[in-house]
Amino acid sequence: MYLLYSLRLAIQSVWREKWINLLSVLTIAAGLFMITLTFFSVYNMDLATKKLPAKFSMMLYLNEGLSEQDTGNIIAILKKNNAVERVRFISKDKALQELKGVLKNADYVLEGINENPLPASIEVKLKQESVSLPSVKKLAADIKKINGIEEVEYGEQFLNSIHSIKAGAQTLSLLLVVVMSTGIIFVCYSTVKIMFYRRKEEIETFKLLGATRGFIRAPFVIEGGLLGAGGGLVSLLGAIAFYYILFYKLAITMPILKIIVFPSEIFVALPFVGLMLGISGAIIALGRIRFS
Amino acid sequence: MIHFSNVSKVYDHQTALRNITFSVEKGEMAFITGPSGAGKSTLLRIIYLSEKPDEGSVTIADWELSKLKESSIPFLRRNIGVVFQDFRLLDNRNVFDNVAMTLRIRGIMEDEVKERVMDILKTVNLRHKADSFPKTLSGGEQQRVVIARAIVGEPTILLADEPTGNLDSDTAAGITRMFKDINAKGTTVLVATHNRELFRNTGRKVIRLDNGNMVGEEIG
Ligand SMILES: Nc1ncnc2c1ncn2[C@@H]1O[C@H](COP(=O)(O)OP(=O)(O)OP(=O)(O)O)[C@@H](O)[C@H]1O
Ligand SMILES: [Mg+2]
Repeated sequence: MYLLYSLRLAIQSVWREKWINLLSVLTIAAGLFMITLTFFSVYNMDLATKKLPAKFSMMLYLNEGLSEQDTGNIIAILKKNNAVERVRFISKDKALQELKGVLKNADYVLEGINENPLPASIEVKLKQESVSLPSVKKLAADIKKINGIEEVEYGEQFLNSIHSIKAGAQTLSLLLVVVMSTGIIFVCYSTVKIMFYRRKEEIETFKLLGATRGFIRAPFVIEGGLLGAGGGLVSLLGAIAFYYILFYKLAITMPILKIIVFPSEIFVALPFVGLMLGISGAIIALGRIRFS
Repeated sequence: MIHFSNVSKVYDHQTALRNITFSVEKGEMAFITGPSGAGKSTLLRIIYLSEKPDEGSVTIADWELSKLKESSIPFLRRNIGVVFQDFRLLDNRNVFDNVAMTLRIRGIMEDEVKERVMDILKTVNLRHKADSFPKTLSGGEQQRVVIARAIVGEPTILLADEPTGNLDSDTAAGITRMFKDINAKGTTVLVATHNRELFRNTGRKVIRLDNGNMVGEEIG
């Protein structure tokens, strides 16, 4: 096989055009680093919003004058639901007590009210995995159909906005990743294209001596791969530096940063992603090789 | 081995070949001659598939060229050694690497490449120049590097375009002798030259071109 020789040609070429190649590697590294930061942000946002609904609950306000039997039935029905984690019954009296607790010294506002105006309610805590916007909506609708429930209250707006912020951020980051990847492919494409044109004469001679397409392409594809992988490696160093600064320097003064998580699998992937982008750029740059 | 049948080639405003028909058999050594611009190089270029004829058909070693798949072209070319009129040496590689290219392209292992290249450089008396770069060689030396590159792959056909271009007659005679030796080992040889000395009294086939027309086929 000629691949060993192709590798030699590629390495020679990388060395001979070291400044162009260095520039490409740094550009690719910058792009990959930005992709890393994007992933990092999305990943943390995802984690953060996953933790939020853990505190999420629904309030069911009951009709006036339900018997204990009816209330018991409703609680039993709720407990049977898969999405429900915990159910807590708050009687009228308990509600008033809690309100008083909240008002503390300001409880004069309740003076003169003889009858307890607060309805009895049930607080339903949902299981974490079922707190997606559509499933909560459906659950609320289902619960509302149960006899004896006056009203269901849950943070619809809050959930809605979290949901749309998340979706927006994801779309934006996807867009950013696509743009960055295209940019990286383009950098590899142009670099390989330049190398190819510089060696056009030589390639013509190779063809006349009986070189196959594979033989002609291989050094350039390898070179593109090396550039990409090199960029990946540099961005990896950048990511490690970023990680280090974030957790060991900044986190000392800003402990809140400790809750941020850095998925280290992404480190390992960087050179590989670079390699793939580099190879793609090179293949596009070479296009179709003709012999006549 | 080489068959041209009514082959014509027209460049933009110039007819380079008109209605050419001839054959060179397996193991034969033949010459193409004619004045500058007669179409000699064009004819050779058609054989090594660097140009396509506009009309007529060309058969090389049972391959009808117009029916050849493009991806097969490299493999046909590996059977054809070419001494290019303009040499086509790679200036950024030394003599060894220039000659070795023929073999490396075929994926031959480095040990064998080294052995075969050194052997062939000995044949053309350039062993001592293996590490030199083409630009530092004399015209005759460069010519021999090109010949070495053409024959190191042991082709079935050897095409030589003006192989004695600017050489003195002694050096030219040496190169002609080399072609004879290669031919004696079974390689079909076709030499394009305007130098009559190369084929005079050889008893070989000489195809005469003038201004794209075939004006005669004779025995030198
Ligand atoms: N690529 C080309 N484009 C246009 N015209 C060409 C091209 N190559 C050759 N020609 C023309 O075709 C004719 C034949 O050229 P060719 O090179 O075959 O001649 P030749 O016999 O090899 O001449 P010489 O002895 O000078 O090498 C010439 O008139 C030349 O100008
Ligand atoms: Mg010529």
